[in-house]
Amino acid sequence: MTTVTASDEAPRIRRRGSWPAELNAALGLLVLCVLFEVLGWIFVKQSFLLNPLRLSIMITQVAVVGILAVGVTQVIIAGGIDLSGGSIIGATSMIAMSFAQSSVFPRAIFAAQGWVDLPIWIPLAIGMAVALACGLINGWLIAYIKIPPFIATLGMMVTARGIALWYTEGKPISFPTESFKAVGDGLMPVWIFLAVAVMFWLLLRFTLYGKRTYAIGSNEAAARMAGINVERHLMLVYTIAALLAGLAGLVLTARSQTAQALFGTTNELDAIAMAVIGGVSLSGGRGSIIGTAIGVLIFGVIFSGFIFLSVSAYYQNMVKGAIIVGAVALDQWRQKRQAMEIL
Amino acid sequence: MRKFLIGTLAASLMCGSAHAEKIGVTIALLEHNFLAVMAKGMQTYAKDKGIELQMVDANNDVAKQLDQVNNFIASGVDAIIVNAVDTSATQAMTDAAAKAKIPLVYVNRQPINVDTLPDGQAFVASNEVDSGTLEAKEMCRLLKAAGKDKGATAVVMVGELSNQAAVQRTKDVHDVIAAPECSFIKIVEEQTANWNRAQGQDLMTNWISKGTKFDAVISNNDEMAIGAIQALKAAKIDRKSYIIGGVDATQDALIAMQSGDLDVTIFQDAAGQGQGSIDTALKIKKGEKVDKKVYIPFQLVTPANIKNFLTKN
Repeated sequence: MTTVTASDEAPRIRRRGSWPAELNAALGLLVLCVLFEVLGWIFVKQSFLLNPLRLSIMITQVAVVGILAVGVTQVIIAGGIDLSGGSIIGATSMIAMSFAQSSVFPRAIFAAQGWVDLPIWIPLAIGMAVALACGLINGWLIAYIKIPPFIATLGMMVTARGIALWYTEGKPISFPTESFKAVGDGLMPVWIFLAVAVMFWLLLRFTLYGKRTYAIGSNEAAARMAGINVERHLMLVYTIAALLAGLAGLVLTARSQTAQALFGTTNELDAIAMAVIGGVSLSGGRGSIIGTAIGVLIFGVIFSGFIFLSVSAYYQNMVKGAIIVGAVALDQWRQKRQAMEIL
Repeated sequence: MRKFLIGTLAASLMCGSAHAEKIGVTIALLEHNFLAVMAKGMQTYAKDKGIELQMVDANNDVAKQLDQVNNFIASGVDAIIVNAVDTSATQAMTDAAAKAKIPLVYVNRQPINVDTLPDGQAFVASNEVDSGTLEAKEMCRLLKAAGKDKGATAVVMVGELSNQAAVQRTKDVHDVIAAPECSFIKIVEEQTANWNRAQGQDLMTNWISKGTKFDAVISNNDEMAIGAIQALKAAKIDRKSYIIGGVDATQDALIAMQSGDLDVTIFQDAAGQGQGSIDTALKIKKGEKVDKKVYIPFQLVTPANIKNFLTKN
């Protein structure tokens, strides 16, 4: 009982030492926005931020990876890692799309069986079922077989990509029904991302699910002593992460109006980077969805900012890398200072 | 291994028919869509010509492919065709075939030793320089036809920066535009979208948000072009104000072209490359002189000739 209270207290203790990590990320976001705004007026003679279309694409282009990042965030907070997200996007995308094809296209995968123009719930349900299976395997391997998360999810990363490639031998699947397209149309990806982010912010901040996640990530042994069923909870955490990856895959497919076996490649790394930039500690137990959401926005601002300034994509990758390393360095420095203060 | 065994078995069964030329073929990865089309083209062609084809899948395994070549040599084939797994690991196969004096033809993927191939060996593929050049030249022609030859602007969508095809196709566009007859075109933006449709969509939307004006969208592949089309439609940009082209002639691109969304794409003749490699192998076997590099032309696809391509890829 006492330990449960302690883990309940954990977020508050973190806030005492210095300013929260989310604030660092928010400051970083602000600096980037101001920087692009100023450079915009100098080089492009227009505002970077006061442009509704740009603001909307800034978020839309990172919404899919953002959904993935929410799932990864809770995994990292629980002290684990998930490398399989990008590949689960690929597998979900391919399999779901084969059930979402419109009869407009005569060469649909299941045209012979007559499985075209199916109601939208069928591809959605099948896609989520694929993700569920991946998540259950991840969770089972990690929680019960005790394979380190890095290895287990690496295995899933390779396997799920294999499934995506095997399914049609690498051929893309296109021409979805109108109802399926709607899932990714216009600002829909943004609304889905926001809904997921808010839901998981609430879940992690105010519910037993969140408390257990932080407790396991902070100190697994202590969490176990406090009576938390660590195995069952980890199983849940990894399954949810995979389901969110599946959702991301469905949104991406609907938005692109096609499924390609290589969809989502390296998205898992972007998602992890977004979480880390947002102050989620890779050693577990610390971080929040708000931080990750800010990390997501930082990526969106960088993508749009570089295109806005017509800067070569080569530099974009270099800057992205530098920001990731910088964010972790800052986090390390903060942790060290906090530790000193406690002493 | 199993595929190999089946291949060998099939070949040994067919040995009864005698006399027919026997060619050993190793394909890097048969699951690869383009390579599958190429392999099928080879099989159909060989059947028509009464050639015995012993085709094996290297499954993307360099060591396995070398074994396969050595097995072909040991079983005394008349010629070997290699679609290399690793284009930088071809010297060993070249040496083995040269030592056994068996003709060797590389197909589709350019071996690193292409300039030092010994006699009796050749490389058959499409010349990558042609795809971007054909695309840009057709875009230039269309702009002229639209009466924009006094000055036109273009945006270029680049594939993955690490990829040779992306670098080459982008360079081709620049080269075409540098020539006097197309120098009225000015590139106003050039950015990567990683071959990816969603990223093509994002890139185009970002350009639109900036107020970028252009008469042509020149994309390194069809997927990014289709992404751009989706973004242009969503932003309700007048279809008559721009022309748009890609490369690959994918199913999606051909359908986009049929519905009037895409103006230009380029077809890489997979089956043609396969047939070319067989022809070249046979010529070498007969002692005819062949070029070290045999190029199968890329083909320009436009609404005018699209009918010829609908069932090819």
